[in-house]
Amino acid sequence: MLRTTRVLMLALGLVLMFGTGAFAEKTYINGIDANYPPFAYVDKNGEPAGFDVDSLNWIAKKLGFKVVHKPMEWSTIVQSVLSNKIDMVYSGMSITPERAAKVNFSDPYYTVASVYAAKKGSGLTVDKIQHDKVRLGVQSGTPQVEWLKEHMGKENWNFTLKFYDSAPLAFQDVMNGRIQAVAMDAAPVNDAIGRGLPLAVIDTFGDHDDFGVAINKDNAELLELINKGIKMLKADPYWEVLKEKHLKGNDH
Amino acid sequence: MATPILQMQNICKTLSGKEILRSVSLDINRGELKVLIGPSGAGKSTFLQCINYLLTPEHGQIVLEGNIVDTASKKELYSYRQQVGMIFQDFNLFDHLTALDNVAIALRKVKGMSKKEALDIAHKELDRVGLSDKGNLYPAELSGGQKQRVAIARALAMEPKVLLLDEPTSALDPELVGEVLSVIRDLAKEGLTMIMATHQMDFARALADEIVFMQQGEIIERGSPASLLKEGSGTRTADFCNKLSDMCEEID
Amino acid sequence: MLEQLAVVLDALPYILQGALVTLGIVGGAMSLGLVMGIPMAVGLVYGPRFVRFILGIYVWFFRGVPILTLMFLFYFGIFDLLGLNLSALSATAIVLGMTSAAYQSQIFRGSIEALPQGQLKASRALGMSDMQGVCSIILPQALRLSIPGWSNEFSIILKDSALAYVVGAMDMFTRTHFVASRTYEHLTLFITAGAIYFIITMVGVKLLLTLEKKVRIPGYTT
Repeated sequence: MLRTTRVLMLALGLVLMFGTGAFAEKTYINGIDANYPPFAYVDKNGEPAGFDVDSLNWIAKKLGFKVVHKPMEWSTIVQSVLSNKIDMVYSGMSITPERAAKVNFSDPYYTVASVYAAKKGSGLTVDKIQHDKVRLGVQSGTPQVEWLKEHMGKENWNFTLKFYDSAPLAFQDVMNGRIQAVAMDAAPVNDAIGRGLPLAVIDTFGDHDDFGVAINKDNAELLELINKGIKMLKADPYWEVLKEKHLKGNDH
Repeated sequence: MATPILQMQNICKTLSGKEILRSVSLDINRGELKVLIGPSGAGKSTFLQCINYLLTPEHGQIVLEGNIVDTASKKELYSYRQQVGMIFQDFNLFDHLTALDNVAIALRKVKGMSKKEALDIAHKELDRVGLSDKGNLYPAELSGGQKQRVAIARALAMEPKVLLLDEPTSALDPELVGEVLSVIRDLAKEGLTMIMATHQMDFARALADEIVFMQQGEIIERGSPASLLKEGSGTRTADFCNKLSDMCEEID
Repeated sequence: MLEQLAVVLDALPYILQGALVTLGIVGGAMSLGLVMGIPMAVGLVYGPRFVRFILGIYVWFFRGVPILTLMFLFYFGIFDLLGLNLSALSATAIVLGMTSAAYQSQIFRGSIEALPQGQLKASRALGMSDMQGVCSIILPQALRLSIPGWSNEFSIILKDSALAYVVGAMDMFTRTHFVASRTYEHLTLFITAGAIYFIITMVGVKLLLTLEKKVRIPGYTT
């Protein structure tokens, strides 16, 4: 058994090393942000895991294609779709007008709130965050950044934005006091709380965020396939199992 | 009368805008030793380097055994240089090679000999200059005199028809001059054709077939040592030599 | 403390696999830089004017443009235009290698120019072609002189290899970040990764020092 796993891992490695062209027929490459638990991360064995990874694996099995999850740098991930280095991004990607101008999005498969969060017992409120001179951590390239930038000018909010590559890095800085609060998707915040980090959600803000799968505009076939798969998954009891497994405390 | 083995005809050379050689011509017959003397800056070294095209003269030609050397052909140039050896003032031994390999390398690279053949010859040539026990030493482990003798062995291994020597003893400590001159003396006795720039007047007087006195890029006087250096001959050569020996006394 | 140790021990095999990727990138980049850098240095010293000009532009470009920009430019631009479907690992190695070629050419050029002028002259006087003189007289000496600069370049490339993350190569740095995102032990894990980088640097530099001693010419100093 161990041996088979090794052989599989080697094969996977080879596929990753020698590019995407070799098995184009039935294997799709899914770019993931492995720094975005609980939607996508790498588990103890170094294998991609998470809500989105499990979802896509299920869909692939049902619809009869193979999928390889490839951890990618988030800030250039849309570019990677455009240059066909990956076939899709099924990895907690919010549907935004800017992204939708470049790639197709599947039907939304999950809605997540944006939240302010701070260290447990900080005493911060939404009002304090917006009007005191608070240092607020955000993840670069997320819709929260756009929303906050737009509103802070209009409404004379006084916080300073600090940008991070990943949500967990921002949480680290909340813990050591370099920033006072974060503004991001509820999911990574709840995931961190679930893993024992002394964070507390203060409140939601802004618009709800819809996650969709990003696919190259030239690939209508895959879009159709994924939409079909998402529909099937949401109708299946496994959907609830997945939410229970990965997203406890996120439903609203 | 036999043709001279090597003829230099109207050699002109300008270096960084300064005219160093003004149409210098010189013939040498097989087995002769010609000694170039003259003040520094007279063009002796430039002339020697022009003879085997380490410097390319602007005008003039060189004739080896009746054939004009065609420098446009690389092949002919390389073959010509094999036939006209050169000894430098500062030895220019290849620092990364042992004495033996210094002698052997050109045999292998230029003459295409096997390693064994080349080393056999190298042993012989080192023996000829009295260094058979120093073959495995590197240049940095040899004295100046030994280095120059290795350089001579290296040149001789190519079996040159003419050997050019550019002040071969002037970089040596006085006590080391003798061993090098004695090697050159032996070569002269064996009948090797040589053109040598030197300030060693005793040596020139004893062995030169002709002394060639150069000044400001021209040959001013030439003749047998006896006629040029005769006491009270009033030649510029004799004048120069007197100054030279005065200087030596002052230094001593 | 014990908890953190457990996280590190748990993650170590995964991170060490990343160290292999990192070594692959560094090895590839150093080799490419060497293979390109030597002829470039020869061209810079002995080449005709237009060759020197072109090489000068190459060196100026790769030294002047940040590596991050080069990675994007090549990975998403030039390699795609050329129709090369390169993996992130090979793309990183090639971009770092081409950058290193610019730096290595300068290391070798410096060494060649530090050699006495007479070396090439002497080889010519023996009837060697310039090519033979450069290959069997100049380069063996210049490369020896270049080892200290080269080991410097090694440690720089090792650190630059962490930039592989931008194109998604699974090097040590990227993997460490992944584990940290799952476990929230950033400091501990990055210190561990730092220690591994440090050990690799130390071993590499030590090996090069041994090489330097091994090929040293007896009695020779410059």
